[in-house]
Amino acid sequence: MLSTLELSPQSLDAEAPVRIAVKNLDFYYGEHKALKNINLDFRDRHVTALIGPSGCGKSTLLRIFNRIYSLYPEQKATGEILLDGRNIISNDVDVNELRSRVGMVFQKPTPFPMSIYDNVAFGIRLYEKPPKSELDDRVEGALRRAALWDEVKDKLKSSGMGLSGGQQQRLCIARTIAQKPEVILFDEPTSALDPISTGKIEDLLEQLKSDFTIAIVTHNMQQAARISQYTAFMYLGEVVEFAPTNTIFMNPAKKQTQDYVTGRFG
Amino acid sequence: MTDHIVRSYDADLEGLRRSLAEMGGMAERMLGDSTVALVRRDTTLAQKIISADQRLDNLQREVEEKAVLTIARRQPLANDLRELISAIRIAADIERVGDLAKNIAKRAVAISGQFQPPHRAVVGLEHISRLVQAQLKEVLDAYAAGNEQKALEVWRRDDEIDALYTSLFRELLTYMMEDPRNITFCTHLLFCAKNIERIGDHTTNIAETIHYLITGDSLDVNRPKLDTTNIEVEAVTGS
Repeated sequence: MLSTLELSPQSLDAEAPVRIAVKNLDFYYGEHKALKNINLDFRDRHVTALIGPSGCGKSTLLRIFNRIYSLYPEQKATGEILLDGRNIISNDVDVNELRSRVGMVFQKPTPFPMSIYDNVAFGIRLYEKPPKSELDDRVEGALRRAALWDEVKDKLKSSGMGLSGGQQQRLCIARTIAQKPEVILFDEPTSALDPISTGKIEDLLEQLKSDFTIAIVTHNMQQAARISQYTAFMYLGEVVEFAPTNTIFMNPAKKQTQDYVTGRFG
Repeated sequence: MTDHIVRSYDADLEGLRRSLAEMGGMAERMLGDSTVALVRRDTTLAQKIISADQRLDNLQREVEEKAVLTIARRQPLANDLRELISAIRIAADIERVGDLAKNIAKRAVAISGQFQPPHRAVVGLEHISRLVQAQLKEVLDAYAAGNEQKALEVWRRDDEIDALYTSLFRELLTYMMEDPRNITFCTHLLFCAKNIERIGDHTTNIAETIHYLITGDSLDVNRPKLDTTNIEVEAVTGS
């Protein structure tokens, strides 16, 4: 007999290749050890959600994937994060190239103070010098993929700062996907948005999943349950449980996970 | 179980458990009383059961509404979600138990003026009713205590009831053949026996729900059958 979990509407392909493999990862803010022996696999073209109470290390983990921490000399990661087999935390990695492959969208929308068009073109121009017509196509393509094109096509020259919060967030997503990354990291991308904008972003994530590997940090348990195929529950810098999302939210193996997802933690 | 951070959530769930316990108690009483009413041909008691069923129906609606409201408000997950889904299912099963007991009570009224067959005709019915009452009590206790093992025992024992029903069917048929004046009475008894057997089935449904609630898995739907003649008899009785 099929269990409920196998009848999942969320397409989960257990055979999908591992895009990012985290192995024995430790992370330090100075003396403080913020992540302890993290081992996680992020599968290709799947959404993996990271959940856990504030301070559990989920955003820290996300920020290691594109080496944001390298900006701060007192922060240090040890272990391995293999992106397509290559350790991205080793010193010989070109951080700029890495960031073009691993895009990031933050909690607060971060449009640059320039036009909508230039916001999207900015990322492309960093690494490539395509002719104007190709650039136009790529900007339009990215805005379409981010489900923003119809709302901004008549005002591409106006400032990205003039858009609503939800539109700004989709603009940031367009800017990220214009660079054709392999992995997109979302750090609480909807926590500052209203329900309609949140719905649009969630719908977008569903679409993006067919082309990108996605990791998302969210405090909204139902959101994680809706949009991800795998979920990791983290607490005090450790991964407590990592399993298919339906298992985590319907029948988790660990009591600590159950207490957290049902609002009993503490 | 650790408490929720939001304390009113615990109060919501506790309220549901209380309503279900009340429903369970009522259904147990209705089954016991309906059997007594039938055996003693006590129409006053039978009428009481018939009117009590309304209260049980109301309680079921209340449980359902509360559960739906809690789902909408709290967006429960994991064991909390299973608890709410289970409450809706169990309330529906208990409500059906009440309906079946009410039907027995109605038949008790219907046969009160009928020709009286020998007393032994109702002995078998009393017996199966006692067994089912015990099963119902056990399964409701198992729910209240969150005891999955106890629920499984109830689930496995349903075979005995099915087997007993089959033999009761044959016995009542014999009385009807002995004396055609018994036919009306015994046909009513037969329906009552079937009702009680159905209550046994609702009891196993509840046991299955308890298993789901506690483990998160569904029980295998195919219970091993002791009584292979069952199918044949079912075909004859047309259910």
